[in-house]
Amino acid sequence: MARTTADATGFRFAALAALGILVLSPVLLILYQSFLTGPFFSPLSTLGLDAYVYIFTDSDFYRALSTTAIFALGTIVVCVPLGAILAFLLTRTDLVGRRWLEGVVLVPMFLSAIVLGFGYTVAVGPTGVVTLAFERLFGFVPWNIYGLWSLMFISGLMHVPHVYLYSSAAMRNLPGDLEEAARTSGAGIWTVARHVTWPLIMPALIFSIGLNVMLAFEAFGLPLVLGDPAGVLVLTTYIYKLTTILGVPSYQLMAVVAVVLLAIIFPLVFIQRKLLSRARRFATIGGKGARVTRIRLGKGGQIAAWIGIGIWLVISIVLPIGGIAIRAFVDAWGAGVNLFDHLTLNNFQQLFSIAALQRGIINTLLLSVVGGALAVGAYLLIALAGHRWSGPGNTALDYMVLMPRALPGLIIGLAFFWIFLFVPFLKPFRLTLLSLLIAYIIVGLSYGLRLIQATLMQVAPELEESGRSAGATIKQTWSRIVVPIIRPGLLGAWIMIMIIFLREYATGVYLMTNGTEVVGSLIVSLMASGSLDTIAALALISVVMTTGGLVLANRLGGRIHE
Amino acid sequence: MQTLKVAACAAVFQSVIVVAFPAGAQQAPEGYPADYAGIVTAGIKEGSVNVYSPTDSEQADGLISGFEKAYPGIKVKWNDVASGAVYNRVVSEAAAGQVGSDVVWSNGLDLQLQLVEEGHVETYKSVEAANIPAWAQYKDAAYSTTVEPIVFMYNNKVFTDSVPKNHKELADLLVKKGAELQGKVTTFDPEKSASAYTVMENDVVNDNGFWTLIDAFGKAKGKVYSSSGQLREKILSGEHPFGFNVNGAYAKGWAKSNPTLTVVYPDDYTIAASRTAFISKDAPNPNAAKLFLDYMLSKAGQTAVAEAGLPSVRSDVTADNWDSVNKEAGGKLVPIKLDAALLEGLQATKRGQFFKDWKKALNQ
Repeated sequence: MARTTADATGFRFAALAALGILVLSPVLLILYQSFLTGPFFSPLSTLGLDAYVYIFTDSDFYRALSTTAIFALGTIVVCVPLGAILAFLLTRTDLVGRRWLEGVVLVPMFLSAIVLGFGYTVAVGPTGVVTLAFERLFGFVPWNIYGLWSLMFISGLMHVPHVYLYSSAAMRNLPGDLEEAARTSGAGIWTVARHVTWPLIMPALIFSIGLNVMLAFEAFGLPLVLGDPAGVLVLTTYIYKLTTILGVPSYQLMAVVAVVLLAIIFPLVFIQRKLLSRARRFATIGGKGARVTRIRLGKGGQIAAWIGIGIWLVISIVLPIGGIAIRAFVDAWGAGVNLFDHLTLNNFQQLFSIAALQRGIINTLLLSVVGGALAVGAYLLIALAGHRWSGPGNTALDYMVLMPRALPGLIIGLAFFWIFLFVPFLKPFRLTLLSLLIAYIIVGLSYGLRLIQATLMQVAPELEESGRSAGATIKQTWSRIVVPIIRPGLLGAWIMIMIIFLREYATGVYLMTNGTEVVGSLIVSLMASGSLDTIAALALISVVMTTGGLVLANRLGGRIHE
Repeated sequence: MQTLKVAACAAVFQSVIVVAFPAGAQQAPEGYPADYAGIVTAGIKEGSVNVYSPTDSEQADGLISGFEKAYPGIKVKWNDVASGAVYNRVVSEAAAGQVGSDVVWSNGLDLQLQLVEEGHVETYKSVEAANIPAWAQYKDAAYSTTVEPIVFMYNNKVFTDSVPKNHKELADLLVKKGAELQGKVTTFDPEKSASAYTVMENDVVNDNGFWTLIDAFGKAKGKVYSSSGQLREKILSGEHPFGFNVNGAYAKGWAKSNPTLTVVYPDDYTIAASRTAFISKDAPNPNAAKLFLDYMLSKAGQTAVAEAGLPSVRSDVTADNWDSVNKEAGGKLVPIKLDAALLEGLQATKRGQFFKDWKKALNQ
């Protein structure tokens, strides 16, 4: 054991330093900006607490902060149990159609929240297709998609895939004998899940709680589309207001809110580490070949499971994607409109007339496929650096990984725009896709790294120890034993990162320039001139392509997760 | 060796072109001063022009291809910069000594003037200046290029009340039928959109009943949105069947392709917003920048933009222009002048007061 940790210290510190530079440079820039009276590059700016005074005396800030906290809590209350149940059903039981479901459950992640929110409006908004049909049949509508409650509910359902991904990655690797033992001692499925499976994947569950809290804090699209019309103000929509409220953009105010968001990280990671210090002991991929025996659900179980999954599928996939699909093929919708009179293919034709969009599609594909692979490579190096490494280095790593997650994409994009502009040797890269890639790597860091770390943590130490005692260097142990074992985790991380890079929109707003357009950020400018029909067509194409890609990967590359 | 030969050939070929073509290109366009030919030659030598603009390249397509045809050899590099990001980009790049823009064209009129005041703009009296109205020019540096009327738009299938024809009638309707119209009316959010704020600032000047309207709007639980896209969908779907302060340049196009939408030019006054262009200080391609700015203001450039749906400031353009829009507005078109008032609107105290009143009216 001692030998596995003693080596590679140089590598570990180098990786930590590289991560530190990448993560801390935007963070420190924002921190510095928050203590200034104007833009950091302006000679007129002086040090001062004016921005803090402004924010901390603004009643809107407190309203947004408390709403955001409630929103985050509501989101995890919905998504964590549902995601864990879904993962259990798909990986540990003989649920009918689970292979097919594996790809489908990820669909809510394919679209940026702003587009999804729009899909909900078309489907179940006050004049939505489903709403109007329901009203015609029953004479009333029992739901309202605007407001904090529906925001929490929908956001919770949207984030189920996040929890599912982390917990299923962990569950897949559990040997079945533990559960089997429980089953033979007479435990029911529910008891097995609660007392055996879930405790074993506690690290993954705790990760996803932490991640989803942060996701809720930096969520922008859903609160804008579903919260704003009901006057629900969260921190990110509050930041949005700050950009115009003083006339000339006031970055110091945005920076203060970003610092507040960052501050939330510390208690969160602290609690997470405390909880995990106990859970970390569970290493479940042993030297013996683990054969997964699936728990039989029985007929009643199958039906019950499918009813639950069906409801979830309808609400979180059929409604929003259906809404987008409808909008992509019509030129009018809503009250008093017969959709069939308004069918059109024009929305798709418009797509081909925009030159920047074609460049954007190529860039986005490059960034997500090639860039995504590079990102996963980087995450793997960082994960290995932290692997079986206790002490302050590992602590620093834990905090740094979640830090960028606290920052809205727009602010990360802005910070990197400045870094590439003002750091002399980075100048040549600013106008290339590399600047976007670096920002994207930071945006995807907590998603990708956590996925890899969670799998790494399950590799039993004796595997590495046996390699080491046979005379292998730590590098050989990692490259010949550890990495091959966690290959499914790496593939899963790559797919996750591809999806996230595909739909990312805020990060590119400040960074993209002629030749480096990305689809997500082009959507923002299409939104400004009103072309939501074009956006719907574009979004539909991207859902179809992403789903197709996933199915293909499933077919060709064997199954992604195995 | 092979590549060397190719390169040499290319060089020879290029010099042939340079000798053969410019005979035509070097001539100044018709009606321009003779020494303009020098700018043309220098501009072609620069080879490209970088434009920063929130106007998406779809709408700018005609302008771009028109310019590239007029000045072969100069490539237009369009940068889709979001409205809220234009100012930051210009200021930051200037501070870093890496100015990337030649021409900046934005609908954030106040911030465009602020950039002039802060010294980020090159003074250049356009050769087309005489053809551009005085309200659209600022200190021989910034020029408004479009006429975008700010209108009412409603869904004629859902909104069946008698349609208000002006701001006063809208306010009256909201007061009289406030209960019925709960959540049915919408407008552009001045707290999130800088251009929406600029328009409302002009509403305050033109309409002494503006706050009465906003007060009634707040009582009727009116909804606000931060992009034209959202406004359009909400009105189109009938969720909020009536909207005011909608960009009429867009609205007209939407109504054309969609008979459910009707545009009303308020008959008390119709504000004309615009997008303003200037040449950046220390622009990397200063001559190509001049050519592009002049082309934007020329009859040909204005026609191209007008045909893409953004009416021209010139009256000698056959496509939609100031006169035709003004006619539709019953002669009540009021431009947002490029002047000191716009800059005053940027002052924190003035904005603070506006937003205080705004919030008070909306959170009733």
